[in-house]
Parts: sequence; C-alpha cells; structure tokens
Amino acid sequence: MDTARLSPLEPLARAYRRAVPEHPADDGLFGPRSIVWRVNRDRCFPLAGMRSLMVQALHPLAMAGVAEHSTWRRDPFGRLAATSSYLLTTTYGDTASALAAAAWVRKIHTHVRGVDAETGLPYSAEDPALLLWVHAAMVESIITVVQRYGRALDDGDADRYVAEMVRFAEIVGVPTADVPTTVASLREHIESVGLRQVTPAARDAIGIVLDAPDLDDDMRELWRDLGQVAVGTLPEWAREMYGFDAPPAELMEREPVRQLLGALDLAFESLPGVLEARQRIELRTRA
Amino acid sequence: MSASTGAIRQSRVSRGAALARLALRIGGRYLARSPRLLFASVERRGELRHDLALRSADEVAEELGSMKGVLMKLGQMASYIYEDMPATFRASMSRLQQKAPPMTPALAASVIVAELGAPPDQVFAEWDPLPFAAASIGQVHRAITHDGRAVAVKVQYPGIARSITSDLRNVGLLRRIVGAAFPGLDTRSLVDELGDRLQEEVDYVREAESQELFARYYDGHAFIGVPHVVAELSTSRVLTSELVSGASFDELLGWDQQERDLAAETIHRFVFRSLYRLHAFNGDPHPGNYLFHRGGRVTFLDFGLTKLFTEDDLAPLIDAVRFLVFDKDYEAFRAALERAGFLRAGAPVPTSVVVDRFGQFYGTVLQDAAMTITPAYASAIVRRFFDARGPLAPYSDVPRAYVIMQRINLGLYAVLGSLNATANWRRIAEEIWPFRNGPPSTPIGEAEAAWLSKKTEKVLKN
Repeated sequence: MDTARLSPLEPLARAYRRAVPEHPADDGLFGPRSIVWRVNRDRCFPLAGMRSLMVQALHPLAMAGVAEHSTWRRDPFGRLAATSSYLLTTTYGDTASALAAAAWVRKIHTHVRGVDAETGLPYSAEDPALLLWVHAAMVESIITVVQRYGRALDDGDADRYVAEMVRFAEIVGVPTADVPTTVASLREHIESVGLRQVTPAARDAIGIVLDAPDLDDDMRELWRDLGQVAVGTLPEWAREMYGFDAPPAELMEREPVRQLLGALDLAFESLPGVLEARQRIELRTRA
Repeated sequence: MSASTGAIRQSRVSRGAALARLALRIGGRYLARSPRLLFASVERRGELRHDLALRSADEVAEELGSMKGVLMKLGQMASYIYEDMPATFRASMSRLQQKAPPMTPALAASVIVAELGAPPDQVFAEWDPLPFAAASIGQVHRAITHDGRAVAVKVQYPGIARSITSDLRNVGLLRRIVGAAFPGLDTRSLVDELGDRLQEEVDYVREAESQELFARYYDGHAFIGVPHVVAELSTSRVLTSELVSGASFDELLGWDQQERDLAAETIHRFVFRSLYRLHAFNGDPHPGNYLFHRGGRVTFLDFGLTKLFTEDDLAPLIDAVRFLVFDKDYEAFRAALERAGFLRAGAPVPTSVVVDRFGQFYGTVLQDAAMTITPAYASAIVRRFFDARGPLAPYSDVPRAYVIMQRINLGLYAVLGSLNATANWRRIAEEIWPFRNGPPSTPIGEAEAAWLSKKTEKVLKN
C-alpha cells in the first residue's frame, strides 16, 4: 500500500522506532525471556487494542476521564500511538526509560479528575480501582485475542503473562496485592466490578474506534472489518451493553482474520523503522 | 532460395559453427572445472541475515504466512507493470523484498529429510549447510552429488505452499488490497493471473518441467545456457539443478560496453526466441536471475513463473507486428490489438492515436538500423505503458493471458536500458519472427543458426 494512505499509522510507526532502544542499559522490567516480551509484539495487537478500548469504555468513570481530559477525539491515531508507545517502552525499554514513562503517566493522572455528568460520581485517574479496571480490561483482551488469533499461547503461559504483567499495573500505582495473577481471577475481577454501563461518551468513542476518520477508503474497509472481529471477541455482557449484534461466524474464523491482520501488519512493517525495531527485539530474545 | 543466397547462408553457417566451437571452448572452461572448484567458486551472499534465521515452520508462518508472502510477491510482480507507483511504495517494497530471512541449517535439513528421505549430508556427497542465495519462497544451497556433479539445491520454506494456497483463495481481500495499492489497474485480471502464477510457483515439480523444457531446447546453444534439472533429487519442495558459476548483473555493469552489448543481445534473443519459437515465457526478468560469462554467454535461472502460450494467444501479436512494421496497415494493426484484447473494440479514438501510443512499444524494431536502448528510453516506455492520463487509458487493458508477458517485456527494457545496449534489434527480431526467418545478422546470430541446423539434423535423424 502506498505510504501516503498509511499516514494515520505513521505516529504508531514512530512510537515503535523510539520505544525499542538500540542500546538499552539493561533488560528492563521483564527481560527478553519473559512471556511479556513474546506476547506484546504479537501481530494481532491492533485487534487486542480495539477490544481493550471497547471493554475499558464500559466503566463510566474511566470513560469520563478519557473523554474530558484527552485529545483523542481530535487525534485518535495519535492517542493510539501514545498508548502503544507506553506499552512498548515499558516492555522493551530499559528500566530507567520504563520507569520514566510510568512517572510521566502518573504525573498526568494527577490532573485527571472531575465529576462524571452521566452518573454524577466524582472520579480521579489516580484511583487505584479505576487503574486496575483499565489494566484488567487490557490484559484480559490481549489474552483473549492472542489465544484466538495470535501465535500459540497455552493456558499456562497465559497465566504466566497475567502474573508478569502485575509489574505493569504496579508502576502506575495499583497496589500489588490487588492485581490478579491468573486469567481466571482477572476475569472474575472484571465481572465483579459493579459500575459497568455504556454512556453516551463511550458510544461516541467506540463509534470512532470502529470507523476511524482520516483513513483512505480501502484502508477504512479493512479497519471496519477488524472492528467487527473485535466486537465478536467481546464478552457477551459487553456486546449486549453496546447493543451490537454478534458478527457472522465466518467473519470470526481464524484463517481469514489472520490474513486481514497479516495484510495490515505488512503495510505497517513497510513504514520506516518498524522492521528494524522488530529485528532489534528478535535479536535480543536470541542472544 | 536461389543458389547464391544459399551459398552465402552456407558460408555463414560454417562461420557460425566455428564461432560456436570457440564459444563452447570458452564456456568449456566452466564445464571443465572440477565440481569441487565450481562448488567453491559459487560464493555465499553476504547479506543474508543468518542472525535472524527462521528456526521453525511456525516462524516461517509468522514471517511469510497470513497474506504477507503473497502480498510481497504480488506487489513485486505488480511493480514491474505499474510504473505510476509512488516512490515511497516502491522503496518499501524493495525493503520488504530483502527482508525474508533464511532458514537455519537445521530447518533446511528437515525439509530435505521430509522430501528426499534422509538428511542432506547423506543425500549428497557434500552439502553446504548455509544457503548461498535467497529464492522467493525458499533458499538455495550448493552441494555435490554422489556421482560427482556440483548442484544448486533450492529448498522451499516448510508450510509455505499450504499457506500461499489458502491466502490465494481469499481473493476478495487480495483484490481490495491490490486495488488500494495500484489504483486504476484492472485488479481482477491482475490478481487472478498473478495468483495463478504464484500458485504454480510453489510447485517445484512444475518449475522443474519448465526449466527442463528450456534446458532441452537450448541444449548446445553457444550463448544461452539453462541448467538441467537433476530429476532424481527434485520434488515439489526441493529443486536440484546443475550449479553454474558466473558474474552477477552488478559485475557485468563493470565490464566494458562491448561485453554489455553482447550480453544484452543474448538476453534479447533468449526472450524473443523463447516466445516466438518455444511459445514459452520465463516471467521473471529480475537481473538476479541471470549469470554472465565473458563473450556474451548468459545463463538463465529460475523458471518458477513460466507461462506457456498457444498459437491462438500469439497470433494477434504476430499480426500486430506484421501490420505495423511491414504492411504499415494501421487499421489492421488496430484490429489485431483489439483481437488480442489490449484495446476495447469501437473505442472513440482515431487510429493515428492508437498507432502513436502502441507503436512506441515497437520502437526498437521499426527501423533497420543500430539503436541504443538508453535508460531514459527504457523508462519512458515503461512509464507510458500504464499512463493513466493518456487518451487511450480508458480503453486499454492488459488481458489476462499477457499479464506475464507485459511484465517481462517491461523488465526486459529495464535490463537492456541499464546496460545502455546497442544493436540492430530489428535484424535480430527478423531472425526470430516466424513469418520472416531472416538470415543471421550478428556473430551470435550465426552461432545460433549453426546450433539450429544441428538441432534440425538431430530431429531428422531421430
């Protein structure tokens, strides 16, 4: 694909280039032998990311924090790139870069507070319960999507992944003892959160995720298909809250979904620096 | 034929025969070398990323499965026939083409075990565990057979055939993506034709048959070499053929202009003779598929994209040449293009425009004179070929049967252009056009005539 058509993905490529250091001081928070290193570069991450956002948005206070304090609406791909950059830096960066990125996020969070118009409840981005919700929704989405469409990840490794990712929650301020360490307890935690509902802000946000602006027509079609697949991977309660129909079974089959992801990934990899960043990661896992 | 022209031809043929013997002696230097020396002379390419080598079929699938390999290949093919491609896309395609890493020695050996029944060091007397070259869906190792022949063994990535087949079945997605990358192209015929060829390319048995077709036809040709296949060491995933040592295209560019002209003439002859006489087209004009020898001899490699043509496929093309170049009957020329499907019938465009636009593709054969194919000339031809703004663009198409032919034609111009090659291309073409059967016009042509008469004798004897 012509790179001009891929310009929305350009910030994401830049994030990749910058987050994966050429000369890291150490192996960072997880290390090249970790499951986190293996899973966090799976090619099905665009799908995992979409699903994460859909689940995360169903907590009205988490959604309010994003809706009222972020530039995502003006620049959704920039926002996506920032989130990806954070995940990549904390995964593949050295310890100092990872902790610096986390400190920056915590600093921003001190300003994210207010009252949610829909529920009338006060919120703060420093609230460990909200941080845990966002963490749990993301980690559970990654596991679900990678197990279904990514490289082989058995249940034991999935549990190890969840346990390793505790560190990821800790650095933004979730008390270690609160963070689930298995897939089962992670899902249990999500289901135990009482305040789950779809607000107008969430509908608005997910509308943009599913039909991203600034995409060329042909890319847009692929992106929409991917969005439908993401909808199909949602837990039933979440899908029903949004009122989405279950997509047809043939759309959800592993082979065509992987073909769609592969095509997108190839386009992404053709952007300058992405391939090289991936090779740096690969070489370190082999060292 | 009158007695006098017969005599002239006779003397030409014998001169040609002497030249052929000379060329054989030159070529013989390679053949006379011991397999061991030949084995050693084919060097491993430095740029293969052995540090990133693929260790398992799973890693192959991750790297090249799920549309990635198929799209890279389609993009590469389409890039030959789509000049309007943005430079950025071209750059990213070439980055991706260099990307596929080799297999580890163990993974490559596992393919040999699966295909030939034993590890490579038992199947072969000598086996180099590191590949010396990359192939589109595999890699090439050098080896020595138990009966002492130096061979090149192309080993296919495990699992890639299955994944390519499955990816090609998803035509809906392919058409959408190719349509996005190459706006304005007839993606239906392009994807269908290239998909068919790619499907064939994964079957090395088919490639072996094509290669043998060429190898047998050109057997004994002083200037055109095609390595024979070693059938007993070839399967659908492993292709073993004679190892040949020669200079790369980049090295040829460093030789003097006379060498470059000779090489260009041989390539030109190979392409046109294969099309008009063998009715076969080797659709991969990549300079990496040629090996060059001093004095104009060229070895042609890689027959994975061979397309066979019927008389009916070729008839309108031959008519077009005849009407434009010889009869100067422009209405008939236009009708031939319409019959071939290049131009929609009844397009509201004057015939003079048709002659102007399509005639340029015959620019090298319009005049009986020496002509230099400069890089500028070559790229102008290629650029105008798919000129989306031209007056004929709405009515022009590349019919499915000719997609591959266009690809090699344009690839051929690109190669001849970068060689800055000079020849009387018209005279050479006249030797080869079946409706002309012109006399030899160059020393290589004389050697070719000698080879042909020997070939005919052989056929008559048998």
